[in-house]
Amino acid sequence: MRLRTSIGAIGIAAALALTGCATSGGDSGSGSGAALTIAKPDGAITTESHNPYLGDSSASKYGYAKVIFETLALVNPTGDLSTTPWLAESVEWNDDYTELTVVPRSGVTWSDGTAFTGDDIVFTFDQFLNGTLADTSGLNYEGATVDGDAITLTFGDSKYVAQARVLHTPIVPKHIWENIEDPNTDPLTAEGLAVGTGPYVLDNWSTESVTLTANPNYWGGDLAVPELHYVSYGDNAALTTALVSGEADWAQAFIPQIEASYLAADEANHFLVSPTAGAGTLFMNLQTKPFNDPALREALAWTIDRQAYVDIAREGASEAIWSVTGLSDLLENEILPEYSGQNYKVDIDKAKQILTDAGYTWQNESLIDPDGETVSFSISVPAGWSDWNTEQALLAEELSEGLGIDVNVDQPDWGGWDAARQEGTFQAIIHWLEDTGNAYGLYTSTMDTKWIVDDRAQFNFGRFDDSAVTEALNTYANTASDDERTAALEVIQTAFVDNVPAIPLGAHPLLGEYNTRNYVGFPTEDDQYASADPTQPGIVQILAKLTPAS
Amino acid sequence: MTAIQPQPFTDDSDSVDADTTPTNAVKGHSRIPWRFLGGRALFYLFTLWAAITINFFLPRMMKGDAVTQYLARNRNVTPEAAEALRSLLGLDTDKTLLQQYVEYLGLLLRGDLGVSLLHGLRPVTEVISQSLPWTLGLVGFATLISFAIGTIGGAIVGWRRGSKLDALIPITTFLSTIPYFWLGLLAIALFSVNLGWFPIGKAYGVGISPELSFEFIGQVIHHGTLPALTIVIASLGGWMLGMRNMMLTVLDEDYVMVAQAKGMPNNRVLWRYAARNAVLPQIQSFALSIGFIVGGTIVMEVVFSYPGLGKLLLDATNAKDYALMQGVFLVITLSVLLANVLADIAYAFLDPRTRQTED
Repeated sequence: MRLRTSIGAIGIAAALALTGCATSGGDSGSGSGAALTIAKPDGAITTESHNPYLGDSSASKYGYAKVIFETLALVNPTGDLSTTPWLAESVEWNDDYTELTVVPRSGVTWSDGTAFTGDDIVFTFDQFLNGTLADTSGLNYEGATVDGDAITLTFGDSKYVAQARVLHTPIVPKHIWENIEDPNTDPLTAEGLAVGTGPYVLDNWSTESVTLTANPNYWGGDLAVPELHYVSYGDNAALTTALVSGEADWAQAFIPQIEASYLAADEANHFLVSPTAGAGTLFMNLQTKPFNDPALREALAWTIDRQAYVDIAREGASEAIWSVTGLSDLLENEILPEYSGQNYKVDIDKAKQILTDAGYTWQNESLIDPDGETVSFSISVPAGWSDWNTEQALLAEELSEGLGIDVNVDQPDWGGWDAARQEGTFQAIIHWLEDTGNAYGLYTSTMDTKWIVDDRAQFNFGRFDDSAVTEALNTYANTASDDERTAALEVIQTAFVDNVPAIPLGAHPLLGEYNTRNYVGFPTEDDQYASADPTQPGIVQILAKLTPAS
Repeated sequence: MTAIQPQPFTDDSDSVDADTTPTNAVKGHSRIPWRFLGGRALFYLFTLWAAITINFFLPRMMKGDAVTQYLARNRNVTPEAAEALRSLLGLDTDKTLLQQYVEYLGLLLRGDLGVSLLHGLRPVTEVISQSLPWTLGLVGFATLISFAIGTIGGAIVGWRRGSKLDALIPITTFLSTIPYFWLGLLAIALFSVNLGWFPIGKAYGVGISPELSFEFIGQVIHHGTLPALTIVIASLGGWMLGMRNMMLTVLDEDYVMVAQAKGMPNNRVLWRYAARNAVLPQIQSFALSIGFIVGGTIVMEVVFSYPGLGKLLLDATNAKDYALMQGVFLVITLSVLLANVLADIAYAFLDPRTRQTED
């Protein structure tokens, strides 16, 4: 998601914009028949593997696995966060979310002509049961029972906070996969193995591009786009050039100065930012000075300008989070009544008051803590994560000018950063959150002790530890009753507001750049039925909805 | 290289019958210098072992491991599944580093380089074989062209010192000081975007598969022209400057003057006498540059979205994909060693002094 900025991208794009030479892409300039080219900035993807379960197969890297293999339902990561049944006619959870009852859609066939049945669903999930497929989504699946049309899948724990992980499991054909020896690693490159129910079927794979053609028997109806090309460019600069020139149509990249470099080139170019429940968050190490003092953390929360994070660091591709609960607007309905409308703002006087009350003083414009030591800390983000590197500089400036705190900007390589966050040897980092599609994501990521195993943290890097909160988090995730969940949320949210264990800066967005030269019907700001990110499962929804531009 | 130059000639003045003249060296050529060859072979074997060993241990000293990298790349995978991942990626072993090393050597001898975590758990040999031809083809070809043009051009410029041709040196040197990514981006902006003569990047067009047809070969040439051209432009200066400077040194030597005084045609003096001696350091640099060819030019691959080993190695390093890193390093090591062997042989032909050991 965070990728290198290149001055070159701006240079080329500016040259393009100046000369106004945006050619139309695809096979023909307008109307039906034009192929849609979906592009990524990951460098050449030269090893062929169509395995949808493998994160680094070419199918997953390009994202074309999503248009071959479909899922039971599509959970919208943005907009109304709703669930749309897809390969199932209906999906229904029991009260404590340990059982999922699905009715397979009728009239669906695999692209090799075989009928799709409930057996395929059961087979797909049973692969996790007998260990042939590694349970990388932590499904903890226990088995299925079939009752007429309905299939009930049972899980070992509540899936309330992991609904999308279950529902987005790619469903594969039993008649093919039962003969595959190792479904974890099989590349599906042999003849007739890359078979799914999806709207497109694999046509040609080369080290430079992948071509898929429309599935003539697709259950979802006629498809406007006859052909999809997937390509990968060397970096964001090359991708931007391709998008502007029309060589590529659809991407999900973070493009610096997108207004000048992409949108200005053609009025048919569009850019959609879809905020999700995740957020770029400032994690502080609660175990060591200076952040073992809640007063300092609160003062920071009153000093950091979230709008600057959105406008400057993220160049508009985010949404500021001001609520004291740390929740973004998307999760507004989970903000308890007592905290609704309670927002942080940039208020240096208030921050200074909090610090003064806690015994801090100032000497030569520098903040001195109650022990008489100058307050300073390092904030680390891996080098090359340009948006968060910018935010580091912003934070350093805001905190030094506002509160007199000396902030050291640290940009290690990934390995060093990763070790520090896991071992808790950092002072402050910016990090993403676990996205569960509800408030749980923020609170488990910042306060849950379950992430600390063998003294290494996968989340909760600041090592917040309060047994009442941990228990409430478990209740929130596992309970069958909405009242209990609300009660748990009360405990969690109050703890978050009182302790400020972390400071969310801005919602993590899914991005999408697309053009409406040949096709219309993409998600828009007003109609976010899916995100415009072509690597998300929701792409099948978009492809089914596209119509030729008039 | 000037340090090498004077020594043989002081020999000359010391002993009149020293075997340093070309005429006598031809005699030495007829018997096979076993000791020399054996020594070189041992040296190369040792270097190979040392390189493989360093390749094995160095990556493992980096912080972080493959699973956390995998989780960072694939946010849809829950961190709770780390254990399942570890066993999937084959990282759940509790073998010591030494055991792993011995195992690695064993597998290496059998030609098994392991599987690449970063490329869908496909065998490393398959991953590398998809990228290596493009790197060798494009960068290798461009470097050869650049070397040939630079060396021949440098010889001519050196021969005609003081003429207008001297202007070529600052021009080519200037071109090679332009940062390569900038040169590449400029080339794309001008020739691909504005003039539309060449595609923006990639090795061949969308929707085409490699095959032995004129269309495909045409595509490869069409797509490869711009990257190859920019590599030649960026590296020409070094070759030309090096060759021209050596020429100037060599042209001052007595034997060149003698040859000219004897009335030998200029062409013969230029190529057989002066250039033949001046090219020796060039050959050595060329052998060294083979390593860079095979290592790929990361920047070129990124700017032109070209497949190749450079980006492969960079990504593998970032992802802690040990098997792939070792594989790529091995290819680089082998090719550098091979290039040095070839350079040794070429030297032996061009410069009889190197064939002479202590006899």
